[in-house]
Amino acid sequence: FLDMSAEEEQPSRVAIGISFGNSYSSIASTVGGGDPKVIANEEGDRQIPSILAYVDGEEFHGTQAKSQLVRNSKNTVAGFRDFLGKDFKSIDPTTARGAAQPQEHESTVAFSIRDSESESPSTVTVSEIATRHLRRLAASASDYLGKKVTAAVITVPTDFTQAQKAALVKAAKDADIEVLQLITEPIAALLAHDRREDHRPADKTVVVADLGANRSDVAVVSVRGGMYSILATTHDYAVGGLKLDETIQEYVAKEFVKKHKVDPRETDRGLAKMRLESEACKKALSLGSSASFAVESLANGIDFTLNLNRTRYDMLAGKVYGRFVQLIQDAIVKAELDVLDIDEVLVSGGTAHTPRIASNLGSIFPESTQIVAPASDAAAINPSELTARGAALQAYMIESYDTEDIDQSTHAAVTVTPHLAKSIGLVLTGDEFKPIIPAETPLPVRRTVNFTATSDSEAALIRVAEGIRDIKITQPEPKAKQNGKATDNDEDDDEDEDSEEEDEEKRETMWKVGNVVGELALKDVKKGSKVTVQVQVGADLEITMSAMVAGKSGVKGSVPGSAANGAAH
Amino acid sequence: MAASIGSLSLPAVPNGWSGEKDFKAVGKLSAATARNIEPVGAHFLAEARRKRHKRTFSEDER
Ligand SMILES: Nc1ncnc2c1ncn2[C@@H]1O[C@H](COP(=O)(O)OP(=O)(O)OP(=O)(O)O)[C@@H](O)[C@H]1O
Ligand SMILES: [Mg+2]
Repeated sequence: FLDMSAEEEQPSRVAIGISFGNSYSSIASTVGGGDPKVIANEEGDRQIPSILAYVDGEEFHGTQAKSQLVRNSKNTVAGFRDFLGKDFKSIDPTTARGAAQPQEHESTVAFSIRDSESESPSTVTVSEIATRHLRRLAASASDYLGKKVTAAVITVPTDFTQAQKAALVKAAKDADIEVLQLITEPIAALLAHDRREDHRPADKTVVVADLGANRSDVAVVSVRGGMYSILATTHDYAVGGLKLDETIQEYVAKEFVKKHKVDPRETDRGLAKMRLESEACKKALSLGSSASFAVESLANGIDFTLNLNRTRYDMLAGKVYGRFVQLIQDAIVKAELDVLDIDEVLVSGGTAHTPRIASNLGSIFPESTQIVAPASDAAAINPSELTARGAALQAYMIESYDTEDIDQSTHAAVTVTPHLAKSIGLVLTGDEFKPIIPAETPLPVRRTVNFTATSDSEAALIRVAEGIRDIKITQPEPKAKQNGKATDNDEDDDEDEDSEEEDEEKRETMWKVGNVVGELALKDVKKGSKVTVQVQVGADLEITMSAMVAGKSGVKGSVPGSAANGAAH
Repeated sequence: MAASIGSLSLPAVPNGWSGEKDFKAVGKLSAATARNIEPVGAHFLAEARRKRHKRTFSEDER
């Protein structure tokens, strides 16, 4: 991969990153290797609704098409991405939400819409709809770049099947877009996030929570030496931003009924207007502490305005918020990890803008976990842009490669790799364990560490072992009843809060020494000596360890591996 | 590329310890887990290139 000769052989491509969601899509480019930039279409949108609408044979796209949901819903196609590559029986047709209904058509899904000037509707397959959508996206990018876009890296959910991927590649091909690579949404988001540090990202375990409109997807990712391995994923196809819109919709409908004795949701038009305004109101509540819901002629010609504050909204949405948290907790359990093992939570997708979601996550993770969302991290990249930016970065990295090279490198023969089952480190005085290479690091690996010795001996023992991460739970001290005055002068009203905190058990990670692998005797380690230790593990699990005191000769040894490529997981 | 990990207190070599050339093999590593590395990002691309050219670490420091 990356033969420089490839650059000359390949007719030069113009490649972009595309994030293609059920509700919004975005296009991005690094414009020659710089920071990825999300491109606005002709209407100035960076989050382009994945919607097409037809009026007298004219095609509308994006926001213009979205507004057709009120007047012309039968000829408007929305929420179709997850229908690609599926047969009718395996889709959830309710995700169309008031737009043209998906229908069974041969082995696929299609829509019956009037997309030409003819009075009679035509049957348009989901593949063709996706092609038209992608063509419009590519055209907007071509306009911006001033060059015809010919290729793309497109993001897909981690559970996209081979059939779904093949259908997406074909739909893109029909739009004259060569798909260089399909990459998963959480990894695209991480790639864009990690670019904040322009060196190699630190080893870490990250939860990427992609909170979209129709669905939410979580991935637990191990980042080692700048490489990403997914440890576990969870999916909820029925929870996302649309569920949040519904909570506002229901609340408003009830208020409207109270006042005017008619339910605005009874007509398709009333319902469509409510959906659009609920979403707008919800977005406004991510920024301000209150927002107005205002619709002209909502039902029976009555205009309606209502003010909603964030506290009330958060209360209405509490159940939905709980499902996001649950999905994240399930993913961590599935990865056989604990919240204490998670270094970062990257919240991506449009719904990640919701302030309360970030603060709810803050309360289930320890303080050491960084919650990367706009409400909790000022440096967070716009979560609606993460996947498109990641795709653009990848597109820039591979746009000059041979197609064959790309295919080879994404092949299981290259990507399936043995990963360390346990952390490897040093056993210190008092059986303390200091990790050097974390578990889940792909092999082969070599790590070198420097430290200052604080012990003094004829010869020090460099003891290399596996470490076992354990969780130590400290129960709260049974508190003496407060008789009279407590030691500090707490006001009555904080007392409750304080005691609650103290009553919680304390959970912390600690290391236990596991399997010892090898020992080196290192001479002349004085207090203050600078010691260098190197540990190298091959794909066959052969481990080589060496140690030296600065300026002196070192010691070295190796233990052959037992299992060749490790057990499948 | 060495990482600095602060100060550590090493145990002394116990009496009676013996090893050939100051090294003693004690046990083996636990079996590895086969997982998929996501074929994404500069570090993966460098790794894939390394695999292709079968370079060793010393030729191409990671
Ligand atoms: N500022 C905001 N505050 C709250 N919600 C927002 C904000 N911006 C966008 N959203 C919501 O985010 C959702 C869209 O997110 P995203 O673009 O990630 O979805 P998608 O990837 O198209 O959908 P899916 O993942 O379900 O296929 C919508 O419900 C939208 O209303
Ligand atoms: Mg999405």
